[in-house]
Order: sequence, then structure tokens, then C-alpha cells
Amino acid sequence: MTASVTSRQGVRPRGRLLSFIRRHALSFYAAVALGYLFLPVAVVILFSFNDNRGRFNFTWNGLTLKHWANAFEIPNLFDSLVTSLQIAFLSALVATILGTLIALALVRYSFRGRSTTNLLLFLPMATPEVVLGSSLLAFYLTLGVARGFWTVVVAHIMFNISYVVVTVKARLAGFDRDLEEAAMDLYANEWATFRKVTLPMIMPGVFAAFLLGFALSFDDFIITNFNSGQTVTFPLFIWGAARVGVPPQVNVFGTAIFAVTVSIMFINLALQRRQT
Amino acid sequence: MAAEVSVPSTPAWARWIRAKLGRRTVPYLLLVPGGLWLLFFYVAPVAQLAAVSLQEGTFETGYLLTWRWANYTDALRTFSSQFIRSFVYAGVATAAALVIAYPLAYAIAFRGGRFKNLLLVMVLMPFLTPFLLRTLAWKVILADSGVVVGALQSIGVLAENGRLLATGWAVVAGITYNFLAFMTLPIYVSLEKIDPSLIEAAQDLYASPAVAFGKVTLPLSLPGIVAGTLLTFIPAAGDFVNAQLLGNPQQLMIGNVIDSRFLRVLDYPTAAALSFTLMIVILSLIIPYVRAAGTEELVA
Amino acid sequence: MTSSTEREQRLTGPEAGESPAVDLTSVTKSFGKVIAVDDVTLSIEENQFFALLGPSGCGKTTTLRMIGGFEEPDSGDIRLYGEPVTGLKPYQRPVNTVFQSYALFPHLTIFENVAFGLRRRGIDKKQVRNQVNEMLDLVKLPGLTDRKPTQLSGGQRQRVALARALINHPRVLLLDEPLGALDLKLRKEMQIELKRIQHEVGITFVHVTHDQEEAMTMADTIAVMNEGQIVRLGSPAEIYEDPRSSFVAGFLGASNLLPVASVDGRNVVLEDGTRLHAPDGAELSPSMSLGVRPEKIRLHAPDASDLPANVIRGHVVDTSYVGISTQFLVTTPFGASITAVMQNVDPVSFRRGDEVLLGWNPDHSFVIDGS
Repeated sequence: MTASVTSRQGVRPRGRLLSFIRRHALSFYAAVALGYLFLPVAVVILFSFNDNRGRFNFTWNGLTLKHWANAFEIPNLFDSLVTSLQIAFLSALVATILGTLIALALVRYSFRGRSTTNLLLFLPMATPEVVLGSSLLAFYLTLGVARGFWTVVVAHIMFNISYVVVTVKARLAGFDRDLEEAAMDLYANEWATFRKVTLPMIMPGVFAAFLLGFALSFDDFIITNFNSGQTVTFPLFIWGAARVGVPPQVNVFGTAIFAVTVSIMFINLALQRRQT
Repeated sequence: MAAEVSVPSTPAWARWIRAKLGRRTVPYLLLVPGGLWLLFFYVAPVAQLAAVSLQEGTFETGYLLTWRWANYTDALRTFSSQFIRSFVYAGVATAAALVIAYPLAYAIAFRGGRFKNLLLVMVLMPFLTPFLLRTLAWKVILADSGVVVGALQSIGVLAENGRLLATGWAVVAGITYNFLAFMTLPIYVSLEKIDPSLIEAAQDLYASPAVAFGKVTLPLSLPGIVAGTLLTFIPAAGDFVNAQLLGNPQQLMIGNVIDSRFLRVLDYPTAAALSFTLMIVILSLIIPYVRAAGTEELVA
Repeated sequence: MTSSTEREQRLTGPEAGESPAVDLTSVTKSFGKVIAVDDVTLSIEENQFFALLGPSGCGKTTTLRMIGGFEEPDSGDIRLYGEPVTGLKPYQRPVNTVFQSYALFPHLTIFENVAFGLRRRGIDKKQVRNQVNEMLDLVKLPGLTDRKPTQLSGGQRQRVALARALINHPRVLLLDEPLGALDLKLRKEMQIELKRIQHEVGITFVHVTHDQEEAMTMADTIAVMNEGQIVRLGSPAEIYEDPRSSFVAGFLGASNLLPVASVDGRNVVLEDGTRLHAPDGAELSPSMSLGVRPEKIRLHAPDASDLPANVIRGHVVDTSYVGISTQFLVTTPFGASITAVMQNVDPVSFRRGDEVLLGWNPDHSFVIDGS
């Protein structure tokens, strides 16, 4: 009856290997899955350095920096980028304002027509983009509205509202009402309380919603395709170029966008870490 | 002498509003701007679409609302194979996404520890490159002269000069990849909510880890699975980008058809009928979910 | 080397009667730099209601989890009825746990929750039904089989958690602060309930709590833990009347500790020269403190006769009337603050500012070594 010093008794070497694999199989899988997720990104980045022959950029030909040096060579490309940024900014801004108001109503008040509102907000998210895009196109046609920059903005605002509501609502739900009551106890009226207490505290959620809307708008293709008329956004440029050959400068900008957004995300994470 | 505290009073205009409209209208006021926007730019167009689907005519002659239900039957008859193909591709892609995403979400939720948030961000990061660029990248990866095709040929899965591109497989692979984040996140959220002491309790009650997973973890993650499935299947069914870039003209999805009908052939009634049918089918999948979960769950 | 299934079977067999129910030998467990359980050796006899008592972070929960199999000790040996269980997973040990948060499966009905363990072990349907109903009767919750946990109150959930564990006839039942979330009245009811059930079912209960009153109410034996070690082991009365350390004296109830300056035969002399009789049989040394609990001290008027053997003079600084009793705070000439508690049999006759005599029987006091 000896006191044993180690906790695992008599597990043979082969059993040890099996249990090691079993315990780490999941982490190993996660690493593989993440690799799978990043594979196309790696390809995009890599092919921005491809010394391609001809107009297509599908086979690897050697390393070069010339596309990065001549990034602005193609006029339409850069213009399409600017257009996309403008549309994204405008639509995200308006959608965030409209959506935040709705989120406030849903979380703070009980009213009749709640289910209808929820349904109305949900439907755009559940409708395939082809239907959203084509219905708006038909609508514009009936109204005789020319399709262009502003019709795209309008469309983007429309589908962004739902996502904004979902994001802000999540943030609002966790918000402590006591803080507002404390403010009112200290002589702030409703408007001051909103400005000084509520708004600052939900700002991270509102900002996150803005970013989400921006990203969704910037990357949108299908709906934009239906409603853009002659206006060309970045995704539309790529689509148009896909048939005749996508210039590597597209990869350059794609990589740049990726790098910028990743940095923003990490800065945001670091800031959040500092806050808590 | 005691200092006097001056309490700021509500401005006159606010008092007027409150007096005229009362407390109860505040929520409605908040809803109006966004609600109107949605009504005008979502509900109206969709209703309009329904109307267009029942019209007939051509671009040259103009369209007339003649309640031509035959638009639907014609469209369905002509394009039934594309419809079926769309749902098959979307279904396979959703299933594949589920199989890939669930263990990934599980790994992050249960083995992530301090790195959970970081890992989640890493799952989202690839989706910050433009959708089209990502899909074009698959064209490179699945190229005939590429590594993947070569490997599959050497182990015999593909024939000697078999291709992946311009086949249904490439399209499904593209769709699976492009919507993976939509599947992973909801599953992660519902797994993360599971109280770890529930799993310990199951083990305490003689369940081996596998049984504990099947009897406790899996059922409790069901809401996430359902949400992820819906969020993946819906855009997948209507997608045409993957089919266009990775598939071939003989194997179009319904999205391609709608796109070409609307923008190239200008056959609006048929296109509208197709759109509307797609929408109805998808809604019919969602309605049982809504019935079960209630409308509050819809907007999280 | 016996395989784990063979060991498991032996643990549920009938011949394990002579060994203690739970036996820990030199068990140590660290989490990073923190030593949660520090070389603990403990023997729990069968059929006992055993309590692990101590403040947060003392290692009691970690010890319980190691018995249950949710943590493995870094070193040391754990045996159940003589059979070593190190390396066995929770589902291979003949113990069951009542979790602090109850851990009821929210997606299963009460019936399925309680039946969970039985189903895993392949008991046939009819038996399951009978046993579940029997167990729900035992915990006084008949008829709730089709509800879900979210539809039950906290007290009801607690009983379901208990039923779910007991139904498997474990040889040892582990309870991890199960009464913490209940309100006071319900908690007191459940304390009595748990004791009754333990008696009726006749198995060993190991109960973790930080509430000393709870431990003393329910347990036959208490192990007081602090900073990973067991500092006192005994019945409630033994521990209370003879704490043997200032930590235990302060953790269980209140006590007055008077530092001793010197020893003179069977007397101790305080700093100011007051002589007091020491309790019979205590080992005396000049570095000890003399301890006496508030309820052992009576207040007397300065001119009273018929005083006990130990008397100190003082005057009342504060009184607190608590219904059952009155608590007096008395300062002595040499600066000590002494708390005395007297039951309110007759109306309170001592007020703030009164000069009083504090008296107690020497055998009602205890000594504490060193600190």
C-alpha cells in the first residue's frame, strides 16, 4: 500500500501517443481549418506580386514589385475604389443613424407592432440578394429613376439598416439602466442623459455597426450590379474585368484593403483590452 | 446660507412635443425614419416585383399587368433544372459548411481559452478581402495546372485530364468557402453559452465524453446550427458569382438566370417570376423556424 | 495492473466494508504558482455527514473536485473504499456530485434529468420510471416530471439536482456549496432536509461550505481548511470548544482572545497582572492566549456575590439587542475589548457606561498556542 507519487498509473507508451493525438486532434483541426480560410487570401496577396504574362493573372510567373509601383496606372480602377468608398461611407452613416433609432425603440419601449417591426427588419436579411437587387431595379424602372451613384447608396442603406439594428440592439441589451437613473437623479433631463450617458456608452456598438455597414456596402456586388447604371464600384470593376483579364493592380488594392482593415481590427481589439 | 441648486428644466420645445404627443408616441417616432425607408425601398419594390411578375410584354412594346400566372409556370418549366441545381448546390455547400464549421467553432469555444476573441477575429479576417477577389483566388487554386488538381489526379480521384474548374464541384467549393463565416459564428455563439458545469454533470452521471457531447452539447448548440444553416443556405441559393467564375455555361444557377434575364435579355416578367419563386421557397423554409423561435429571436 | 473497468467494478462490489469511504494521502494540487491543496491527508468514514469548511480559496472545492474526478492531484493518492481512483474519469467513479449551480440540463425535462445517470447505465425503462418517481418522492417533489428546469424555483431545482445524484446509489455523495443560492429560510429548511436524507439513505455525504453555522448544523465531522491545509478536524462540538488555533477560533463563531504574559501553576497571568484559572488539563506555556467565547461570559453587578472562578472588571461600552440575546461590548482597565452574549431571559439590566464584572467558569475556556 504505497502512496503513489504520480497521478497516471501504468499507461503504456502506445496509449500515451493515442491520448495525445485525441487531446490535440481538435486543435490540429482548427489550425488546418484556419489555414483553409486563409488560403485564398494568401493567393490574392501573392498574386499581387506575380509577374504575369498577358492580361490574365492565373499562373505564377515570378516575383515582381512593379504592380505595387504602378498601382495607380489604371485610371478606372482607382476611380472605382473612390466611388466604393464614398458609397460605403454615406450608406453606412445614414443606415447607422436610422438603425440606431430603431434599436433604441425596440429595446427601451414596449409598443404594439413590435412583432411586425421585427419581421420587417428580418426580411431583408432573409431575402437573397438577387431578389433585393432585381426588385429595386424594377422599382426604379417604374419610377423612371435613372440608375447611378445615388440609387446604389439608397439600396445599400436599405440592406444595412437591419444589420445595424442587430448590432446596436445587442449592445443596448447589456446596458445598465441604473446609470441613466443615476444621471437623472443628478439633475440631467432626458436629452442630457441621452447625450452624456447613453450615447457615449453605446458608442462602441454604434461604431461597430457603422463599420459593419461600411464593410457590407464596400464589398457588395449583386445588389450593386442591378442598380448601378453606369457607375462602377470596385467589385463591379473586378467583375467586368474578370472576363478580359483582371489586372494585378486589383490584387494590390485588395491586399492593401485587407491590411488596412486587419490593422483597424487589431487596434480596436487592443483598445478594448485596455478598456476592460 | 445654504447654496441654491438650480435644476435645469426641460426646454420649452421638448415640453411642447411631450404635451402634444405624449410618452407613448416616442417609440413610434424613433421607428419612423428607418421604418419608412424600409417600407419604401424594400416592401414597395418587392410588392412591385410581384406585380411585374404578372405582367407581359417586351422591352420594346412595354409591359401590361395582365395577371399572367402563366409567367410562373413557363419560367418554372424552362428553368426547372437551374432551380434544382441551385438548391442542390446550396444544400451540399451548406452541409459541407456545417461539417467544416462545427468542429472549428467547438475548438474555439472549448479550447480557445484566452485566445477566443483573437481566433474569432481570425475566422472573420479572410472575409475582409473582396468577395470577388476571393472567388477568383479559387480559380487559381483549382486551376488545371495547380497543386490541388495535380494531387487529386495522382491519387486517382480525378481522371488524367480531369478538371475541377468549370464543374459543379468548383462551384460548390466556392460557395462553401464564401459563406463559412456565416455558419461558424452562430454555432460559436450558442456553444459559448453552454455552462461547462453541465458537461461535468453529464460526466458525473456516467456519460463518456462522446455521450456527453451527443446528449448535452449537441442539443444545446442546435439553435446555433439552425441559425447558421439558414444564414448560409439563403445567400447560397441565390448566388451566381461562384457559378459564373468557377462553373461553366451549361450549369447555371437560378441567380445567373435571373441576372441575365433582367440585365441582358430584358425579359422582366420572367425574371420577376423567377425571383419571386426563389423568395417564396426560401421563406417557406424560414417560417417553421420563426414559428418555433418566435419573432424576438429574429433580430437577435 | 488492473484495468480501469476492473477497478470500477470492484468499487461497486459488496466487499469494501472495512476501508474508510474516502481516503486522501498527501494530496497536493497547484494551479500555476498557486498551491490550492497542500499535502492533505484525510480519512472519511462511511455513513458520515462530513463537511469541508473554510473561507474562499482555502482549497475545499478543489479537494472535492479531486474526489469526484474533475481534477487530478499533482501528487498523492486518493482511494475510495480502499481502491485507488487516480486516473479514473468522473464517469468511472462510484461517486456523484451536486453542483453549486445545480447544472440541470435545460433542454431535458425533470424526469429525463433525474433519469440521466440510469439511462447511461442501461437500466430498463420500467425500472427507470419506478426509481425516478421514488426518488422524487424522497426529495418531496412529486408530480413535476414533465416540467423543464427553467420552470422551477431555486429550491425545487436544488432538490432535483439532489435526486439526480442520489438515484444512482453512489457510495459517496459530493455536495459543492449546494445551498449557497437559496434565501435564508429555505437554506435552513434544506439543511435539515439534507441531514434527514443522509440518515435515511445511509451513504457518506461530503459537503463543502464556507458557512460555519451550516457546517455545524449538518455535519458529524468537520475538517476546517485554510490556505490548502486542514487546520482542525473533529466533531462540531470538539472544534468549537477547543479550536486550537486563532484562525479556527475566529472562523467558527466569535471568541475573545487574551494574550498571556506568564504562567503560575494552574493559573495564567495577563499583562496587567490579572490572574485567571486555566481550563483543566490544558498544556500551559507563556506564549499562549486564553480564549473564552462570548456566550460563556456572564455580566454581574460590581457588588454581586456568587461569582464564578474567573472574574474581570470592566465597563460597558455598547449593547446590541438581537431578540434572542443581547450582545455587550465591555472594555477592561488593561485595554482589552471583550464581547459577551447573554440570553434575554429576564429584561436587560446592564446599560452603556455601567461598571460590571465579567465572570466565567475556567473549564469553559480554551488555550491557543503561539500566535
